[in-house]
Amino acid sequence: MSFIISTQAELLKTKRTSSFWLPITGAAFIPLMLFISFFAGDDASKAAVLKDPWTKYLSMGWELFCVLLLPMYIILVSTLITQIEYRNNSWKQVFASPQSLGNIFFSKFLTVHVIIIFCFLLFNFFMILAAVLANVFNPKFTFLSSNINWQTLLQLNLKTYIAALGIIAVQFWVSLRFKNFIVPLGIGVALVIIAIVAMAAQVVHIYKYPYSFPILTYDFMQKKNRPFLENHELNSIGYFIFFTLIGFLDMKLRKEKG
Amino acid sequence: MTSTAIIKTIGLTYYFNKNHKTLDNINLEVQRGSIYGFLGPNGAGKTTTLRLLLGLLKKQQGSIQVFGKEFDQHRIECLKHIGSLIEQPSLYGHLTAKENLEIYRKIYGTSKDRIGFVLQLVGLEATGKKKAKQFSLGMKQRLSIAIALLHNPELLILDEPTNGLDPNGIIETRELVKKLNRENGVTIIVSSHMLTEVERMATHVGIIHKGKLLFEGTLPELQNLKNRQSFIQIDTSNNNAALSLLAEHGAQNTNGYVVLPFKEKTITAAINKKLVEQHIDVYLLQPKQNDLEQLFIDITSDN
Repeated sequence: MSFIISTQAELLKTKRTSSFWLPITGAAFIPLMLFISFFAGDDASKAAVLKDPWTKYLSMGWELFCVLLLPMYIILVSTLITQIEYRNNSWKQVFASPQSLGNIFFSKFLTVHVIIIFCFLLFNFFMILAAVLANVFNPKFTFLSSNINWQTLLQLNLKTYIAALGIIAVQFWVSLRFKNFIVPLGIGVALVIIAIVAMAAQVVHIYKYPYSFPILTYDFMQKKNRPFLENHELNSIGYFIFFTLIGFLDMKLRKEKG
Repeated sequence: MTSTAIIKTIGLTYYFNKNHKTLDNINLEVQRGSIYGFLGPNGAGKTTTLRLLLGLLKKQQGSIQVFGKEFDQHRIECLKHIGSLIEQPSLYGHLTAKENLEIYRKIYGTSKDRIGFVLQLVGLEATGKKKAKQFSLGMKQRLSIAIALLHNPELLILDEPTNGLDPNGIIETRELVKKLNRENGVTIIVSSHMLTEVERMATHVGIIHKGKLLFEGTLPELQNLKNRQSFIQIDTSNNNAALSLLAEHGAQNTNGYVVLPFKEKTITAAINKKLVEQHIDVYLLQPKQNDLEQLFIDITSDN
């Protein structure tokens, strides 16, 4: 019960911060680009006239989402949520209020997840909206006459989220650790770039590196007959548990709070 | 009614680094219903002590009892009844006064009407949609006090609440502290580096310097200490003669005056008589008190 209250308080704190606009702009960016490219004669417009346009179109969007947007978004949201306290010098008030350290840590962590999930939902919505709208403007497109494979889409959402759990835990920890927001931002961006380079170079140990997990999930979703959870997704859960614990202990054992 | 300690620390010692004791064996006792002025120059260890009391610093040595319970083991229970304002205001700048209070209202589980009540108490009821970051420092400080008061705490810990306020703000804060103590029976610990400030509102005083608690007692006790340090200031037609004449009383030349310790009125009269009998004209003879400022300097410069 007290955890729910702490979380409600956390959500209240995000009011009027960019945590509202960030998911909207973040989620709308790729669909908007694709929407524009429908009319620019690019790949998207070729996909739009296929017999099954959704599969190709959605995969184009999700690739961009998994490679760059989602990791960057996680970095920004984690920083944003923890910076609310740092920026306002309010950690001390939080720690001097009657909340358990567990509630303080996990209510913030949950808030980060809620905002990321919000972004997932919006991304799905905007992706479909962009295609439907494009079809309305251009009747030659086949979106309206074809079906979306909801099951695959749901699976893609779920697996991508699981693949992102490792990044979320690491970023939340470093964001909580450092008062200067440049640090978690810099660390995050560097780790994302390493992931992209490692993917391109096809490094063998990529399955152990959390920042590449969403890309891997995207890749595996293009293949048929895969297990429900890939190895790297299990690794992601492992990283998630490990770094969540590290983050919590780090906060709990800190000599100086606030 | 027996006076009970609402806060008691025993042998509280704290090191920020190995070689330097920030707090050295602090034995604090704050009585229920008192306004405890926690006095000390900047860097004396006031904030460190208060942070320890709130659990913002991890205790290293000694024990802290709040409401008669070990703070470590009853952190949440204790914090439920403590309101605090530590150093500069910690407000969410992007939120209004009401929204700031709403966050803590949820956490403390207090009724909604408390928000209006505390806003009125600190005179911020008309700030409407104005965001906290647009507030003046005085308003921010008052809103912070409102947050500290929201859950009607038994104990209020205010760390330099008048810091950075204009004279009006200082007076308002002082009056608010007194009113809360008088009308609601809130025990208040208020730290300050200004003696006059503490003198004007506190019932009890603790003086801390370089991590050591040099004095703890009631305000009258502090005044007594002050009386003990009173002296007589004399100016005469021949101060040198007067000096040697009064040598047995411990007379000294200070700033061109003859100064000697004050003991009793009768002795003052005897001294005057003695001077006159020796044909020394007395221009000035007055008992003077070391004012608290002086005492404060004395107390803190001894160590």
